[in-house]
Amino acid sequence: MLSMFKSIPTHMDYKGQKLAEQIFQGIILVSAVIGFIYGLFIQQFGWTVYIMLAGFTVSCLLTLPPWPMYRKNPLSWQPAMPETPGENREKPQENPSQKKKKHK
Amino acid sequence: MNTVLSRANSLFAFSLSVMAALTFGCFITTAFKDRSVPVDIHVSKVMLKNVDDFTGPRERSDLGFVTFDLSANLQPIFDWNVKELFLYLTAEYSTKSNALNQVVLWDKIVLRGDNNKLNLKEVKSKYFFFDDGNGLRANKNITLTLSWNVVPNAGILPLVMGSGHKSLAFPESYETAKSY
Repeated sequence: MLSMFKSIPTHMDYKGQKLAEQIFQGIILVSAVIGFIYGLFIQQFGWTVYIMLAGFTVSCLLTLPPWPMYRKNPLSWQPAMPETPGENREKPQENPSQKKKKHK
Repeated sequence: MNTVLSRANSLFAFSLSVMAALTFGCFITTAFKDRSVPVDIHVSKVMLKNVDDFTGPRERSDLGFVTFDLSANLQPIFDWNVKELFLYLTAEYSTKSNALNQVVLWDKIVLRGDNNKLNLKEVKSKYFFFDDGNGLRANKNITLTLSWNVVPNAGILPLVMGSGHKSLAFPESYETAKSY
């Protein structure tokens, strides 16, 4: 069953990761300020916690799943080199620069 | 930030840090408040007995019975950082053998949301008013004060004495057992 979860695509590109981090930090800080002021106004700390939890849930929904807005700048990979035994022996220098490193 | 789990981890940790800062803010807004209110105590009945005290070192000790009325408005104390108040009524006096005696006669827990205007009449003491010896007889000056312990959501737990006290005197002789 774990393999089913692992096959769901969850990657974002780098600009998308930065955007997601900015979004959730902004939402949590804004809901913290709103919650603090509202709790101070009605003199109940419970409401501050509730508003914070609402902000946490909203930012979970917005930043955890990989929405399309986080995939706007995909990395451009080099085209794959055809692998034949002859080429490996003849051009040993060019292989490290063109070796693909796939981030998960 | 490149798997769901690492994003969830940083989101949760950031929320907890912000929550801790909010709790500190809640503490700071109420840390220097004065939590004392005026209290009115009235005593209706005082009686004194000399009985066997099995918890003390001597044969017989003085046992006092006090019936009192209490009224206080505790509404100004409750703010967003107060969870409950622990009220207790103290009797303070001095005898020949001890310079200072303090005995708790009665206590009550008042939660936030409970009726916070205290107006009790004809309350009997909850705990025994034993003296360490026989110093209550003919003692002219016993002071009753109401104090409370403020239990906050975040911060220090202060012990506050209400402003207002009542002095009473105990009779000269013991009350003997009634004959039926």
